[in-house]
Amino acid sequence: MRWLNLLKANMRKEYLELKRYLPNTIAMLLTFYIIFLGLFGTIHFIGDPSTQDTNIQYVIVNYIFWFLTITVINSIGYEVINEAMRGTLEQLSMSPMGIWRIMAARLVSTTLINIVIVIGLLYLSMATSGQWLNIDIMTIAPILILTLISMFGVAFIIAGISIILKQVQAFLQILQFILMGLTFVPLSLSPVLAFLPFVKGIDLVRNVMINGISISQIGMGDFLILGFNAIFYFAVGLGIFIYCERVALNKGLLAHY
Amino acid sequence: MESIIEVQNLKKSYRKRKSKEYVKAVSEVSFTVNRGEILGLLGPNGAGKTTTIKMICGLLTPDSGSIKINGIDNKDKRLKALRHISAVLEGNRNLYWRLTVKENLEYFAGNRGLSRRDVSVQVEELLVKFNLKGKENELVNRLSRGMQQKLAIAVAMLADSEVILLDEPTLGLDVETGYEVREILKALVRDYNRTIIISSHDMDVIQNICERTVIINQGKIITDDKVENLLRLFDVRAYTVELGDSLSEQQEQLLLQKFPQHEYTKDALKSMLSIDLAKSGEIYELFDILKLNNTPVEAIDRKTINFEQIFLKIVKGEKQDALAKPS
Repeated sequence: MRWLNLLKANMRKEYLELKRYLPNTIAMLLTFYIIFLGLFGTIHFIGDPSTQDTNIQYVIVNYIFWFLTITVINSIGYEVINEAMRGTLEQLSMSPMGIWRIMAARLVSTTLINIVIVIGLLYLSMATSGQWLNIDIMTIAPILILTLISMFGVAFIIAGISIILKQVQAFLQILQFILMGLTFVPLSLSPVLAFLPFVKGIDLVRNVMINGISISQIGMGDFLILGFNAIFYFAVGLGIFIYCERVALNKGLLAHY
Repeated sequence: MESIIEVQNLKKSYRKRKSKEYVKAVSEVSFTVNRGEILGLLGPNGAGKTTTIKMICGLLTPDSGSIKINGIDNKDKRLKALRHISAVLEGNRNLYWRLTVKENLEYFAGNRGLSRRDVSVQVEELLVKFNLKGKENELVNRLSRGMQQKLAIAVAMLADSEVILLDEPTLGLDVETGYEVREILKALVRDYNRTIIISSHDMDVIQNICERTVIINQGKIITDDKVENLLRLFDVRAYTVELGDSLSEQQEQLLLQKFPQHEYTKDALKSMLSIDLAKSGEIYELFDILKLNNTPVEAIDRKTINFEQIFLKIVKGEKQDALAKPS
């Protein structure tokens, strides 16, 4: 029950802040939509016409996932920095629930709210391009959940680093391009890529949405890799976050003001 | 009296960034706080007050020593110990400025695992208690600093913890709001049996609401005593005597012999004599000298010493031997 109350409180806060910072939210969505229009226009006007449809479909899925990774992974870093500068991180750290649980609740809340935005962006980009993808919820949902868990692991690492390093903004700016690389890279480039945090998951979703494969056509091996990645990255991420929290408590780094 | 906080041999050093040297922030600090007590933690800037407060509320791990809150070691069982403690460290900075008064209260309660329904009655009670009723739907960034400060204390109250730590609770507040916050703090102890630790540079706050003070300087406790004991210890018998006539040479000689530290000034209209007496009986000797020439006494004022002056004297090292040391 305490967990649920924690999640509800953070969900409400995320929603209220999104509403209060509405111009920022709209500007962010517009930026992403303009980026999509740029990508779409490039393929449409100067790309190879024989592969145009497939390329546009790839771009839609990749850019949607890029948006999701940025809002889940990158934004937690900025949030930690802001909270540390504002003085609220110390206040949160005094909660008997523990800061990692609060961060987990934040991640889940941000993700759930942003999934709604992602769905909106997905349909907007499909309508703009005229390319309607296969939205098979039953197949996409389990892949997405496992992929998100590995994303949370990476987000915990970023949050931990943001607690102990004051000048992490520059890295966060670079990170969004690293995330872009990870979401756009095709798995066919190297099988090792399957073990990177969310590359395998995005590749499977691409297969579902573009090639129309269903859950029964996905092998057990693929799910095992997804499951392994989810557990591995979440455990490593959480471990690193807890270690960073301990360092911060030793050095008094919970406040950056 | 039952102690709710036990601080034992606390040590904390920080490493300097460039020289890599260690600087002692807190060294061998030990004290206890009794249930229902208001304790003032004082010291000049850089004395180690904030470090001590942060270690008590689990935001900083001590290098050695222990802190027990309600019998729970806050190093080994940090989260369990945090159930009994809440703090306002940066006043209005500890709040979410884009959330309303009520949303802030509910959000922080949620972060302690409580639902909005669980705290609805308490939220209403606190809004009334802190004179924030009518402002509950106002965004925090639109409130005055005083109201933000009161809200920060209300957030700490909502945690329902027995101990509340306050770092500079009246900093930047106007006289009226400062007074209001002081009255609220007194009421917290009186009506809710909370234990409060205050770190402040506002000596009026300390003198008015604290029963006991722990004074820290250079990371060490200089004294741990009741406010009234310190006031008594540093009580002065200093007088300013306004005379209706000048003193004769003989009187001046006698004053110099009896009271070598006195100050005597005279002008065309009046003479002033400032004098420190070692014992209260010495005042009769002063009168004897004045009586020699029947020098008229227009007024006598006894100088009083406030807690701020006492604090400065203690920090400068006066009456070291007479000060109560931590046990």
